[in-house]
Amino acid sequence: MVHFDLGNISSGPKDYYDILIVGGGPAGLTAAIYAGRAGLTAAVFEKALEGGAVTQTHIVENWPGFTRIEGSELGEKFAEHARSFGAELVTAEVTKITYDNEYKYVHLDNGKVVKGKALVYATGAVPRQLNVPGEKEFRGKGVTYCAACDGYLFSGKDVVVVGGGDSACDEAHFLAKMVKSITIVQNLPYLTAAKVLQDRLFSNKNVKVVYNSLVKEIRGKDKVEEVVVVNNETGEETVIKAEGVFIYVGLVPKSDLLKDIVEVDKFGYIKTNENMETNIPGIYAIGDVRVKNLRQIVTAAADGAIAVEHAAKKYF
Amino acid sequence: MALLSAKDREYLTDLFSKEMENKVKLIYFGDSKENCEYCELEVQILDELQELSDKIIVERYNVNDHKDLVEKYEVEMVPALILTLEDGEDRGVRFYGLPSGHEFGTLVQDITTFGKGAKPDLSPNTIEKLKEIDTPVRISVFVTPTCPYCPRAVLTAHNFALINPLIKAEMIEANEFFELSNEFGVSSVPHIVINRNPNTFFIGAYPEAQYLEEVLKAIK
Repeated sequence: MVHFDLGNISSGPKDYYDILIVGGGPAGLTAAIYAGRAGLTAAVFEKALEGGAVTQTHIVENWPGFTRIEGSELGEKFAEHARSFGAELVTAEVTKITYDNEYKYVHLDNGKVVKGKALVYATGAVPRQLNVPGEKEFRGKGVTYCAACDGYLFSGKDVVVVGGGDSACDEAHFLAKMVKSITIVQNLPYLTAAKVLQDRLFSNKNVKVVYNSLVKEIRGKDKVEEVVVVNNETGEETVIKAEGVFIYVGLVPKSDLLKDIVEVDKFGYIKTNENMETNIPGIYAIGDVRVKNLRQIVTAAADGAIAVEHAAKKYF
Repeated sequence: MALLSAKDREYLTDLFSKEMENKVKLIYFGDSKENCEYCELEVQILDELQELSDKIIVERYNVNDHKDLVEKYEVEMVPALILTLEDGEDRGVRFYGLPSGHEFGTLVQDITTFGKGAKPDLSPNTIEKLKEIDTPVRISVFVTPTCPYCPRAVLTAHNFALINPLIKAEMIEANEFFELSNEFGVSSVPHIVINRNPNTFFIGAYPEAQYLEEVLKAIK
């Protein structure tokens, strides 16, 4: 089925908004909804994924009200919802954030600067890299972090999926339909994904798991040809023939624009109080990018509501 | 059955009426169904777009019947779509393959850019550096319709083309042109090739300044 999506369409931003929201995932878009409801103007700056990383998730089954919804559809619904409350969704990359006593400023990659009274930082987290030989070298030559983007390009080929969490298992299930075989490499003696995801994954006949193993190296001539894995109990090395390596081994916070301005923990996650305020008044951090126990769509959305509700009372 | 929902049509009608100041030409080249799997769909989506605004003009050509135009617009593959102002002058903005999925947004955004006189929103520094380029540059952006990072990579290339007539920028749908993608070793998109040299490429939707740097580096 061919779709014609209308995401990513935006006109240039105005010079000022009450609330500047950096990042257009579930957290940022919920913040925009609450801004609209509070009668405040809001712009959401998103460089690529209107709806956030959830749009790249195959299936979402833990957003209340939907027993099962495609990530891309849920992301679109979030964006649509934010727009319906008047939020401006701006497709642009923020390259710098500055502030003075009165305003916060986002600097865009096309040179524009937009100011606002409060800033909500909702950039989320990006896939963690394995940091093994060959990973960088073969990026785009077989190594990828996006099954939705690149899966089809590996049709009929043997691939390796690294990781055993929710993302790894869900994406492996998605890939199983098109690739020839999948070998999952997991560092633990079991998968950590939710049981429902594991059951679904193993309904595919072309999936197997290598447990207790770490990827040591990704090798090939011009592109990926094989993956070397080491059993972390026996030390035994195995070579798996594969043309694609999909890496899903967790996330790192995307706090680079703020980490020199506000307090972060040793992993780079932004510290906030229960109102989502950072240590700089008027700068909030919400969603996966902040220090918290559970990183889920529901908790991201909750953060967005709390931050804007607080800002609306304090600054307007 | 219409490809665009009633709601999407309403949204686009409103967008075009607000954003378009001048007419835009969409020049399409296609072939018979046997030779071009996606041509029929592209004709349909272009027809639907044309209905939404009197500022959108669609011209349709069969590649076999219009050799002069194929040559004029340097059409290599079908379906091909070339965006121009009303005068039909080639500004280097092209789509090879159906602009579906996320790439439909790219097409719409391109249409509104042309509708505002084909003056893209780029930083003064980028514009200055693009104008200094004095050799032909061809930017080929390999995409898949399901890749959310890709539209930005295509739009940036298209915007670059509008600044300097020496720059041509094309979207290439990697699944549709599978052999070509293989030739260039495309396995992760967006995959951006400069001057059709398999060795000068970069992968990912870079911000404007970095994108420009990669292009300049490749032609040095």
